[in-house]
Amino acid sequence: MSSPNAPRDAGSELAPADIAAGEFLDRAFFRSLVDNGSDAILSINEDSEILYANRATERVFGYGPEALIGEPLTTIMPERFHDDHHAAVAAYLRTDERTLDWSDVQLPARHASGEEIQLDITFEEHRYEGERVFSGIMRDVTERVERTRQLERQTEQLEEFAGVVSHDLRDPLQAAKGGLAVARERASGDVVDTLDEVDAKLDRMNELIEDVLELAKRGRAIDEPERVSLRSVAEAAWESVGTDAATLAFADPPGTVAADGERLRAMLENLLGNAVAHGATSPPSQARADAAGDGGPAVRVAVGGLDDGDGFYVADDGPGFDGVDADRLFEHGYSGSESGTGFGLSIVESIASAHGWTVTATEGVDGGARFEVSGVCRQ
Amino acid sequence: MPAVTGGDGRPAAAETPEGVDADGEDRPVVLVVDDEEMTTEAVALWLGDRYEVLTASSGEAALETLDERVDVVLLDRHMPGLSGSETLARIRERETDVRVAMLTAVDPEPGVAAMPFDDYLVKPVDDESLHDTVERLHRLADYDETVGELYAVAQKRAVLEAEHAPEALSSSEEYRDLVETHERLRADTREAAAGMDWSGFERLVGDL
Repeated sequence: MSSPNAPRDAGSELAPADIAAGEFLDRAFFRSLVDNGSDAILSINEDSEILYANRATERVFGYGPEALIGEPLTTIMPERFHDDHHAAVAAYLRTDERTLDWSDVQLPARHASGEEIQLDITFEEHRYEGERVFSGIMRDVTERVERTRQLERQTEQLEEFAGVVSHDLRDPLQAAKGGLAVARERASGDVVDTLDEVDAKLDRMNELIEDVLELAKRGRAIDEPERVSLRSVAEAAWESVGTDAATLAFADPPGTVAADGERLRAMLENLLGNAVAHGATSPPSQARADAAGDGGPAVRVAVGGLDDGDGFYVADDGPGFDGVDADRLFEHGYSGSESGTGFGLSIVESIASAHGWTVTATEGVDGGARFEVSGVCRQ
Repeated sequence: MPAVTGGDGRPAAAETPEGVDADGEDRPVVLVVDDEEMTTEAVALWLGDRYEVLTASSGEAALETLDERVDVVLLDRHMPGLSGSETLARIRERETDVRVAMLTAVDPEPGVAAMPFDDYLVKPVDDESLHDTVERLHRLADYDETVGELYAVAQKRAVLEAEHAPEALSSSEEYRDLVETHERLRADTREAAAGMDWSGFERLVGDL
């Protein structure tokens, strides 16, 4: 069989696509397009012998077309893939069933220098002079792949670091709280008040430790999302952040969302915790004054679906965002209150964006704070 | 800071020697093991109102102190020398039905499902949560061994499920075994409890 690189009679072998593309584009045009493209293109026959290589192979593999044509494809393949490749081609020729995706596959290849490179490949098949020809259009994505790996490593390291530091802080924190309790037992008068203040500071440090741990997980890719019931995740979150001075209600059936359940719970813990804390420490709203009249629940928190079915909300009937800088709400370390660590909403936003969701803060129907999470595929 | 405890292995509350309180009644004995002296001191202070508290600053010291009088052990995980899990393993080698709660700064990893503790507390803890835990563990002594096992397994499962996503846990063999054991024990306990009306039992295992 003659190589398609060999000069041929123009016009005699035009494929229908060539004709459709316009008479003024001749074969030389396509030849030039393929030869000069930035993606490497290789064609092989049924025996995995290279029939055609464009010029970009020089840049991608370190071998120009002259060095590749007539050679086995395994020239540019890491040795560990040779057997699999031959087996896959043989199986395909026999059954016509593809053993891997033909579009945008990531596979390693071997550069002339011996280095391994990462390719993004799309395979094509056509017949040429009665023979089956397989072509690969290959883009070198080595740098991108390495950058991604490096980022993953850094994220892991950050999480590990935050974990180690946080855990290492809990021991001395326990000791400090312990020592404080012992000292408080023997103290009297003003000293007791001072020690109580110190104890409150230690509690705040502990909150920061928990938040930093959660935040360190933010760079981590979310686990494969699965359908979880928004209601049951919210109820689980409420168990850890809810208080007797607050009630949780579900408006509209919240339905299920596709999410990483653990991260969604962390997100809801922060949103619900916020509603409880900010509702409780601020001047009472009308609703809360009514409810609190008999010493009953003070803050009412609601979770429900958005009207357009695009997500869900968490709302409370507290004083809303009075005196809070709305633009800075989602910043690290910004807190609308004395007691917050300022990490909560930052955690919320990072979990949302890891899912591809958007969080916005708005005013609820009764003037309270309302957080809407949209872009959620809810059912 | 002057110590309120008598140091390793000696009663923390000096005014009640031999674990006998003012009424001359035996008080339950708690052994707290932690290399941080301030932590053991505070635990002794907090629990001292209802328990005789012994302290040990290492796993080795804990094993020396531990005898049949001890009802509940509070055990740190990271300690110089014998670690918490090694200490726990040696405690379990002995013929004792002492209850052990880990008291640690480390979040529980899925592998702890295979560790033979009865409860798991993450630091920092306060007076109240310590009392709750120790009281529950102590009350287990009144029941059948199955109930004790059920309690330990249910606690383990709860701490793990609070910490990890279901997908992360389901890949852990230890966790899968734990769930299996839990289901089996639940069925056994229901059978054993059928026809009985123990309100205390209900309070204790109702949620397990």
